[in-house]
Amino acid sequence: MEQLKTIGRELAMGSQGGIGQSKEFLDLIKSIGEARSKAEEERIVKREIETLKGRLSSPNSTKYKLKEYLIRLLYVEMLGHDASFGYIHAVKMTHDENLLLKRTGYLAVTLFLNDDHDLIILIVNTIQKDLKSDNFLVVCAALNAVCKLINEETIPAVLTQVVELLDHHKEAVRKKAVMALHRFYQKSPGSVSHLISNFRKKLCDNDPGVMGASLCPLFELITNDVDMYKDLVASFVNILKQVAERKLPKSYDYHQMPAPFIQIKLLKILAVLGNNDKKTSEQMYTIVGDIMKKCDTASNIGNAILYECICCISSLYPSPKLLEAAADAVSKFLRCDSHNLKYLGIDALSQLIKIGPEIAEQHQLAVIDCLEDPDDSLKRKTFELLYKMTKSSNVEVIVDRMIDYMISINDNHYKTEIASRCVELAEQFASSNQWFILTMNKVFEHAGDLVNVKVAHNLMKLIAEGFGEDDDAAELRSFAVESYLRIMGEPKLPSVFLQVICWVLGEYGTADGKHSASYITGKLSDMAEAHSADDTVRAYAVSALMKIYAFEIAAGRPVEVLPECQSLIGEMLASHSTDLQQRAYELQAVLSINAHTVKEILPMDSTHNEIEIDGNLSFLDGYVKKSLEKGAQPYIPASERSGAFNISSFKPHEDHESTSHGLRFEAYELPKLPQPATIPQVLPASMDLIPVPESSYVSDISLPSAPVPYSSDAGPAELKLRLDGVQKKWGRPTFSSPSPSTVNSEVKVQAEAPQLSSVSDSNSKSRSTMSYDSRKTQVEISPEKQKLAASLFGGVSSKSEGRHPSGQRPSKSQYQLSDKHRVAKAAAPDSAPVKPSKPPPDLLDLGEPSVASVTPSFDPFKQLEGLLDLSHEAPPVNGSTATQAPDFMSLFSDMSLSAPPTDSTSDPFSNMGVENGKTASQMESPVSSKGLNLKEALQKDALVRQMGVTPSGQNPNLFMDLLG
Amino acid sequence: MIRGVIIMNDKGKPRLVKFYEFQPVEKQQELIRSIYKILCSRADNVSNFVKADSIFGPDARLVYKTFATLYFVFIFDASENELAVLDLMQVLVETLDKCFSNVCELDVVFNFKKVHTILDEIILGGQVIETSSTEVVKAVEEISKLENKSNSIISSIPGWQR
Repeated sequence: MEQLKTIGRELAMGSQGGIGQSKEFLDLIKSIGEARSKAEEERIVKREIETLKGRLSSPNSTKYKLKEYLIRLLYVEMLGHDASFGYIHAVKMTHDENLLLKRTGYLAVTLFLNDDHDLIILIVNTIQKDLKSDNFLVVCAALNAVCKLINEETIPAVLTQVVELLDHHKEAVRKKAVMALHRFYQKSPGSVSHLISNFRKKLCDNDPGVMGASLCPLFELITNDVDMYKDLVASFVNILKQVAERKLPKSYDYHQMPAPFIQIKLLKILAVLGNNDKKTSEQMYTIVGDIMKKCDTASNIGNAILYECICCISSLYPSPKLLEAAADAVSKFLRCDSHNLKYLGIDALSQLIKIGPEIAEQHQLAVIDCLEDPDDSLKRKTFELLYKMTKSSNVEVIVDRMIDYMISINDNHYKTEIASRCVELAEQFASSNQWFILTMNKVFEHAGDLVNVKVAHNLMKLIAEGFGEDDDAAELRSFAVESYLRIMGEPKLPSVFLQVICWVLGEYGTADGKHSASYITGKLSDMAEAHSADDTVRAYAVSALMKIYAFEIAAGRPVEVLPECQSLIGEMLASHSTDLQQRAYELQAVLSINAHTVKEILPMDSTHNEIEIDGNLSFLDGYVKKSLEKGAQPYIPASERSGAFNISSFKPHEDHESTSHGLRFEAYELPKLPQPATIPQVLPASMDLIPVPESSYVSDISLPSAPVPYSSDAGPAELKLRLDGVQKKWGRPTFSSPSPSTVNSEVKVQAEAPQLSSVSDSNSKSRSTMSYDSRKTQVEISPEKQKLAASLFGGVSSKSEGRHPSGQRPSKSQYQLSDKHRVAKAAAPDSAPVKPSKPPPDLLDLGEPSVASVTPSFDPFKQLEGLLDLSHEAPPVNGSTATQAPDFMSLFSDMSLSAPPTDSTSDPFSNMGVENGKTASQMESPVSSKGLNLKEALQKDALVRQMGVTPSGQNPNLFMDLLG
Repeated sequence: MIRGVIIMNDKGKPRLVKFYEFQPVEKQQELIRSIYKILCSRADNVSNFVKADSIFGPDARLVYKTFATLYFVFIFDASENELAVLDLMQVLVETLDKCFSNVCELDVVFNFKKVHTILDEIILGGQVIETSSTEVVKAVEEISKLENKSNSIISSIPGWQR
């Protein structure tokens, strides 16, 4: 039936002929439509292209025919075939006097050509002429082309004419001229900076269409520089008011709403203008409130305006009344059956929680519903919301859900994103070591080859640092070792994860004494065997073996090299990879040296050691002086030297690394060669320097020199490397401060990095893909970032969260923290004053079973059920525990933080929003909080929570840990 | 801004492709294919919004809607409102409907020059310039009238006929 209709239609079209639709074109489309295979279609199109090639260049084709060919050519190109042979004909057609042909030509060139195509130069002249045309349609066509084809270089050729057209008598022309000018601004802001005032002028145009068009450039201009346009606030409010009061022509009504698109644009502009500006925001409250009331929520467009109002409100300086209205609107969205509205509701909610985190609480059930929804878009949006509201009390639930979802999807792009978010949240908020390790295992298992290698290095670092207390660290490590031993046999583990496993086993496999060295080495060689194709993993495995043997030797135990390890080493000694070879030789060398030396070159748990570095390289002064006296060249600073330096006197294998790493290390290489005899004494320092991918420098020093007895007194004082005035190795070209103490502290961060660093590893680094950026960036934490971290996490000194000292938080989390996360994250350190060492026994945490955290459930439903049960159990537990008082405190502080950070310049009593303290220290002492109503609210809320009822009173206390 | 407008049929064949930032032909085809893949994976009765950051880079969104055998797809960034774009799409379809009286896929195929004209009246350089379908229809009709007039001049000249 459908087909019959189609055929009938085709016949009608065919007979009608239309304008420019010949029988041939019809046949082409029909045959393409009927083509049974891609190859057949290809053949048809190829034939068409040949036909068109011949006809377009034939002198016999009439202009009218040419136009039709051009349209067929457009069609062919749309199907993905090269039509470049016809571009010149499109250009020629723009020169035609006939309007139809000219417009066709312009359409073709705008679709065919890029703004830097060679043919553009042939069009600019025509455009110039057409912009002056009396026929406004010609002008419009030219303006269309201008928007697409004019680039930075050609802007001056048409600029004056476009500006003149801003005052054309036809509104269609004015509108397009505004857009053309906007386009120029986008392409090259500098070339039109003196003309920007025209946009302001056009805001007052008589024609609402032109006014509406001018809102587009103004929105962009205002986003780029808010302060320049504060004076327009009154005008925008006024226009919005007129629009809302239906002062515009009826033709702008759409589904009974007056000019909805203009309203939306204006609301967007107001949101930008009123952001963090109380005075400006106050001018807008009335009109935004009015519009919200007027919105017709039955129609799509009405809801679009409503949504834009919510976005606007969450951006404005908070007004309690509007917030309430926005919260109501959100709940309407979420209750809707339409997925579109739910989607926008979730989106609006995630914006609103920036200024009113408590709003989310009312919608727990709706949010959970969206999470269970079959619609993928909605699910993702909901995960975004959850990500923004994660805190230590709900991190386990959220991250476990995220991981379950991550496992279930195939889209690598999104998998990567969600995996890195899981890692980020786990690192930030994790409350137990077990949970943290298991979570990381799952992430790596399922997305290890997708996540950034930095994440793996971060994990190693975290395991090495152990988050503070020693007991804690040991527990974390032995748990990690246990879980890795369990998991390492599984097939298809990503390479990055295997590397982490190797490193951790090498470093801590025998540390707690539970496992014998031969057990661990056996496991490691099995692994190297199983992944014989992956040189990086094998390299890590060999280094791990070496470390374990070294620890055994150092402990005075006899080293027994298993036969399989022996054969592995033998195999690697003959490996094609020089890196593996070197590692194997180094391992052999370590096996043959005495315990004392081994202890010095591979100290146990050395990742914590502080290094003292003599940045001035003063121990070389004597040598330098001597050399200079002998007539040697003086030192040339790194910046002034090119390749010349490398040539000097280095061993051949230096070459490959100097090309493979991006940073400059010349300053360090200088001292090493000339004085091989004394260098062994630098060992402790050099060991710890290894994390920098500077390969042979370190291995050169340490290995050959290993047998030389180490004289402990010779050390730090005179042999320190001095970094003063030397370009820092890790990071941007900044210079280290001359004060030795700061140098040390910076280096310490570095030293805490995993001892992957152990001598032999270093060589591979330049080769392997691994980068140590994570650690490098960490050292570079700028003051601003630290300040941000301080305001977000309660300051460097406060041991919030029991895990990370804020100053050393993984850099990733720092740059990702933007305003929108602020609230959720700021909630993290709140419990610090109560119990600094351990995560606070939050009311809700108590309810969470340790079982769930040890073996995180894969079944979302099951988990939900668990939640249900728990939350029912929770209240009585809380009521009877001794920890009740601290819990209260944490709740208080929690609440005080939940208000958004603003610059509270105004009276703190005026409303809740104003109250939010600026600094963490203020927040830590809820008793001192200033706002009366806030305090009351907090008390009430705490009381209500204690009773086990949500403040809203609507929902049972189901998902408290998720949304509380 | 709006990054692109694509009309394709339910078999993934493009019927109208317009990118407001230049995309080479091969890239266009690749984008169309990946969009089609996404659209196919969407069940009925789900939202019309898709995050398109894997195809178009960060912050890109995509709104689609099916009308009979055609998918209408708009790609845009954070400066537009999803629901409003959905309505903009409605404006476009309403306008097409007014211009072709009961529009169908074939109208779009055979008159894609006119569809481009209509689209150019609604969106210019990635920005929405006109949202009233009556205004658009008025403009488009005026253009066709003038085009036809100039065309009839051609036809009256001997040797210029089709």
